[in-house]
Amino acid sequence: MTVSGAGHRGFWLWATSLGVYAFLYVPLLIVVVYSFNDSRLNAEWVGFTWHWYDVLLHDEDMLAAVGNSLFIATVSSLIATVLGTMAGIAMHRYGVKALTFMALTPVAMPEILLGVSLLLFFIQVINLTLGLVSIIIAHITFSIGFVAVIVRARLAGIDESIFEAARDLGASPWETFRHVTFPLILPGVVAGGLMAFTLSIDDFVITFFTAGVGVSTLPLRVYSMIKIAVTPEVNAVSTLLMLLTLTMIVLASKFSPDVLRGKT
Amino acid sequence: MSNISLRALLLLLLAGNAFADDVLHLYNWNNYISAETVARFEAQCACRVVQDYYSDNEEMLAKLAAGATGYDIIVPTGNAMESLIRQQALRPLDKSKLPNLKNINPAYLDTAFDPGNRFSVPYAYTLTLLGYNVEKMHELGLPTDTWAVIFEPEYLVKVKGRVTVLDSQRELMAAALKYLGYSANDTGEAHWKQARDLIIRAKPYWAAFNASSYIKELTVGNIWLVHGYSNDIFQANLDAQKAGRKFSIASSIPKQGAVLSLDSMVLHKTGPRPDLALRFIDYMLEGSNSAELTNLIGSGNPNLDALRHIKPEIAQNPAIFPDAQHLAHLEMLRDLNRHQRRVLSRMWTEIKLR
Amino acid sequence: MSSFARKLFSHARLAKWAVSGPPFVFLLLFFVLPGAIMVIASFRYPGEFGGLAPLTAADPGTLQGFTLETYRFFFSDFIYTEIFIKSFLVALATTLLCLIMAYPLALLIARSPKKSRDFMVLLVILPFASSFLIRVYAWMILLGPQAALSQIVNGLLGALGIAPVQLLFSPFAVLISMVYVHLPFMVLPLYTNLEKHDPSLLDAAQDCGANAWRRFWQVTFPLSLPGVFSGSTLVFIPVLGMFAIPDILGGTGDMLVGNLIKEQFLGTRDWPFGSTLSIMLTIAVLLFVWIAAKLGSTRGRYV
Repeated sequence: MTVSGAGHRGFWLWATSLGVYAFLYVPLLIVVVYSFNDSRLNAEWVGFTWHWYDVLLHDEDMLAAVGNSLFIATVSSLIATVLGTMAGIAMHRYGVKALTFMALTPVAMPEILLGVSLLLFFIQVINLTLGLVSIIIAHITFSIGFVAVIVRARLAGIDESIFEAARDLGASPWETFRHVTFPLILPGVVAGGLMAFTLSIDDFVITFFTAGVGVSTLPLRVYSMIKIAVTPEVNAVSTLLMLLTLTMIVLASKFSPDVLRGKT
Repeated sequence: MSNISLRALLLLLLAGNAFADDVLHLYNWNNYISAETVARFEAQCACRVVQDYYSDNEEMLAKLAAGATGYDIIVPTGNAMESLIRQQALRPLDKSKLPNLKNINPAYLDTAFDPGNRFSVPYAYTLTLLGYNVEKMHELGLPTDTWAVIFEPEYLVKVKGRVTVLDSQRELMAAALKYLGYSANDTGEAHWKQARDLIIRAKPYWAAFNASSYIKELTVGNIWLVHGYSNDIFQANLDAQKAGRKFSIASSIPKQGAVLSLDSMVLHKTGPRPDLALRFIDYMLEGSNSAELTNLIGSGNPNLDALRHIKPEIAQNPAIFPDAQHLAHLEMLRDLNRHQRRVLSRMWTEIKLR
Repeated sequence: MSSFARKLFSHARLAKWAVSGPPFVFLLLFFVLPGAIMVIASFRYPGEFGGLAPLTAADPGTLQGFTLETYRFFFSDFIYTEIFIKSFLVALATTLLCLIMAYPLALLIARSPKKSRDFMVLLVILPFASSFLIRVYAWMILLGPQAALSQIVNGLLGALGIAPVQLLFSPFAVLISMVYVHLPFMVLPLYTNLEKHDPSLLDAAQDCGANAWRRFWQVTFPLSLPGVFSGSTLVFIPVLGMFAIPDILGGTGDMLVGNLIKEQFLGTRDWPFGSTLSIMLTIAVLLFVWIAAKLGSTRGRYV
């Protein structure tokens, strides 16, 4: 008799787990279902319609916000991938303590702290008008840590002797990196980049403080719709956004299963 | 890669310099202009109107303090405008470009916020008053002409959990101060404490502090009584009728008086197109254009020429166009200094926590 | 030979700087420096219209320079300590609820056949892939008075003769969506830990006559403590600084430290006090991390 097969206890484990899974999925399912609700007030189910997707496609403010979000996510994830990969290598290879601290703390602190300190810094110190640039900088700052951790995990899984072999064969550090290290960590780099992209698309708190007025992103737009006038358009945009991030996460996990292990 | 970074650079440049020719940047309240009005102006001037929105004066001021630039026109309420004027953030108006200024009711000109209207032109006003579900209030036999109904437990027990008040430090304090018989602009700490205690005593009966979604809650019938803005309550009634609800939503000015928020168009110093902005202001001063807003959202209208274009049911609504007796009890809120802001914020924290 | 070694060494040094330099400079500029600025800002006066008062003003009558005023203000009234305590309690409750919900699930995944584990983990992560705001908004629909949940709850209460309750805009709404949003953070570290347990330990315990209940509390749970602590940290810290959930789903009393900080920057225009509150929050987080680490290490030794 093995432990995992222990009769009614196994049943209870299954039952509670199914309950937790339901807890995770039912709310999202409701969001999706209500995106087809034929009622502006969206308080009770009235009937099926595609109307809100049509409204969404003609909502210029919303489309502009989507454009901003995609642009910010692309630029910030590219830069964060480069810097985060460097940081991951530095952390693994050279054990730079200060860098480990600086890359991981923004991930570990409540987001609001990074948001307000950047707000202060942009306005009070460098007098930067809040907008695309400030959002991109902020997103890079919190993404570096995620990329670095994924890349570091990848490096930790590689046998050190392969680098020694390259060095023994007379390869310079750059050559070693170019021909040995980089191809080996590439899946981690790509996964890190995709993570950074997803985080950027989704970020609300830090963007909220660093966005200024002129530039709106998708989460900011969703927030103001939730606060002011909730119509099923919010559900429609949520449904589409879910599809997008879902694709990104699945892609990221294809490239590197480390993503599935959570943050660290 | 270089292609991407080039495009990125280009986009950044565009973003930083988005104010190319013939674009007017308008920073306005949510839902505070009719789309048709804007479209006609765009056709007339062959330009584009780009809009950003705020839902609270404090939000707008904070964003401007946080370095937002490039707005030609902002539509602040009196106290926020006063603050902008003192910050020297506004451009004086060239009134020779505003022949339609004559349409404005003199009662709304020359306010304490901007003596002589050097910087501002009245746009529209809202009142902060009571909104209610007519049938429910009648059924429960509750009065609707006094702030007591949202502050006194004897009334509140009948509508427990069906009341919301504004999530605004200034507005809620103003209502409490008015109910206590003080000025809405009273800043004496003793009076403030009295108001705070009044609010804390009533709080258990309220469903939420709410700045915007009470419109929907009124419409759906979850909430029966609100402390809210006149145009929001107007909107709630329209929605309720459209959705075929069996009740109607009305508003009334409490006899103790209320807050009148006069929103004015001003030119921000950083706006690159004051010429277009003046054209827009004069356009909005035309009675028919101004009336369009009132007909859409039920806002108060300081434009005398607009009156003949306004739907009669709105023009005759005393909670939108108050009579002289009610008008005398209305007050506009003044700006607070930094010390007062901090003290009020602490009281607000107490109100929320206690 | 030795010159070759020197060359190698300097090459390596160069590489080290080339690799760590750019991210180091970036984070120094946009993470460390802003943090330092915030500390300085907390010792300044608020500007008349927002922002900070100038350090030096021509008019000696105006406020300028540095001050301890904001800290005095913070400690002058218990209300601010109270809001920290309240936030702490909300974070604690969220963490415990997450733990209670996540544990069985993590245990089930860890004891499932290897093949299905990855898929089960993916099922935990997927909801996490939707935006944070959407997950909060979902509860706005679910808890609305017209929604089935409210109807059922109030139907039951009505049958028992209890007055109906409002689910939306209540502390309950805040707590449940806090749990909802942070649950995956608890499941993943727990699973990672539980997966490593050696099943033969449990078999041994069973051979010694321990029943399932005792096996869990005396073997599985103590061994999983590192996972419990790392999961708790991942849940507790973000909840401590949360402002959006009370903002969207909270009722008349739901204000947390995050809301207060947000209000100072975007409402009251009191940046120095907002900075002071942020620094206090940072200290609270560090305190928590320190306590969790202490607890983790002593428990670890005990086990």
